Amino acid sequence: MHTLIKHFRIAGLAVTTGSIRRNFITDGQAQGVPLAQLERVAKTIGLVDRMVAPANITALDLCEDATRRLLNEMNLDASSIDAVIFVTQTPDHSQPNNASLLHGRLGLSKSAFAFDLSLGCSGWVAGLHQAALLCAHGGAGRVLLCAGDTLSRLTNEKDRAADPLFGDAGSATIVERTGQATSMHFILGADGNGAQSIIVPAGGARQPTTDLTRKEKVDASGNTQHSENLQMDGAEVFNFSLREIPLAVQSVMQHAGYTPASADALVLHQANKFIVESIAQKIGFEKSKAPSGIVAQFGNQSSASIPCALIDALGDRLAANPLKLVGCGFGVGLSWAAFAGEVGPLTIAPIQPIQNS
Amino acid sequence: MKTSIEEQFKVLQGEVDVLAGATLDTPLASLAQWDSLAVLLVISHFENVHKVSLSGAQIRACRCAREIFNLKPLSK
Repeated sequence: MHTLIKHFRIAGLAVTTGSIRRNFITDGQAQGVPLAQLERVAKTIGLVDRMVAPANITALDLCEDATRRLLNEMNLDASSIDAVIFVTQTPDHSQPNNASLLHGRLGLSKSAFAFDLSLGCSGWVAGLHQAALLCAHGGAGRVLLCAGDTLSRLTNEKDRAADPLFGDAGSATIVERTGQATSMHFILGADGNGAQSIIVPAGGARQPTTDLTRKEKVDASGNTQHSENLQMDGAEVFNFSLREIPLAVQSVMQHAGYTPASADALVLHQANKFIVESIAQKIGFEKSKAPSGIVAQFGNQSSASIPCALIDALGDRLAANPLKLVGCGFGVGLSWAAFAGEVGPLTIAPIQPIQNS
Repeated sequence: MKTSIEEQFKVLQGEVDVLAGATLDTPLASLAQWDSLAVLLVISHFENVHKVSLSGAQIRACRCAREIFNLKPLSK
């Protein structure tokens, strides 16, 4: 699905990460994995450190912290926000949604609407699309988009395939209506036939929690999981990423009239260095224009990874000037969402770990 | 010019480290580090070099590298 949305801008970005640093090599050695094997994976996939949240911190807390820091940096009052969209796969409760809880915590106006988007790694771009629509067509002047997860909570520590990949983070993005002739192109898509490739099988309405759903099993590769853990078929996800994402990115670039040479950067969901570099290469972007350094510092941060990459790799430039950006989030669903358009200048609150109270 | 399967295998060995000491007919299951990362590297190699998509399930079902080269690519 292609959409062209006009008269909005991204006005501010902030990211709050988990506060506990975990190191891939140290953790692996503690579990008895041979060093050579760890170094081989670390080098290929780009795993070094990841930042996870303490047990009492949720995606809601991480996003609230990012929001408060961003509003402070922008000198904005929470009462000026007309809607809040919360993108997460790890909400505090099955109901009410996180957006309503954040609405209450921030003391937003009763005329401000609040809803969640149940998406993971594609979610920041999909949420931006929704926020932009509200600004361009729905009467909102300012929308708060929060996107984040605590995926480290869903993986099994004894699953050496999935557990070392994920960090926890929450992002806040302020999207505003503008009278200027700004525009952004979006391409959104899904492939529900791949739903089993990234799944938490139990713990929801289809398979409620029982003693059996927490019973651990060891797979053929020696990794331990139970049915309430995040299960991911890495090869199938990689396959999907190489099949669909270059097509979506090339399509959105064509709509915007961008080429790998004319665009300033390609900001992909930071699944891991190997996937980001493989997709960028297939589209024809030089490595220097396609940031891939988030996973080595923070882990795969789900829907917070694109805003984190924007701040980490391009923050200084975005604070000063508009950049021609192309980006794409992709993952659970399976789903993807790509954008192309000018972003900046904007306000940035730096990437910070949550202060644990 | 079409290269032989032996020549194509040499290029694959250069990118997938665990195949370094193997032949086209070495049982993949006998290689110590024939794991999910190796499967990813094979998928990546076939995408980049041969411009074809193979699935993880297809590759995991192969008993040796020769069978990988004989796989029918997924439709694009």
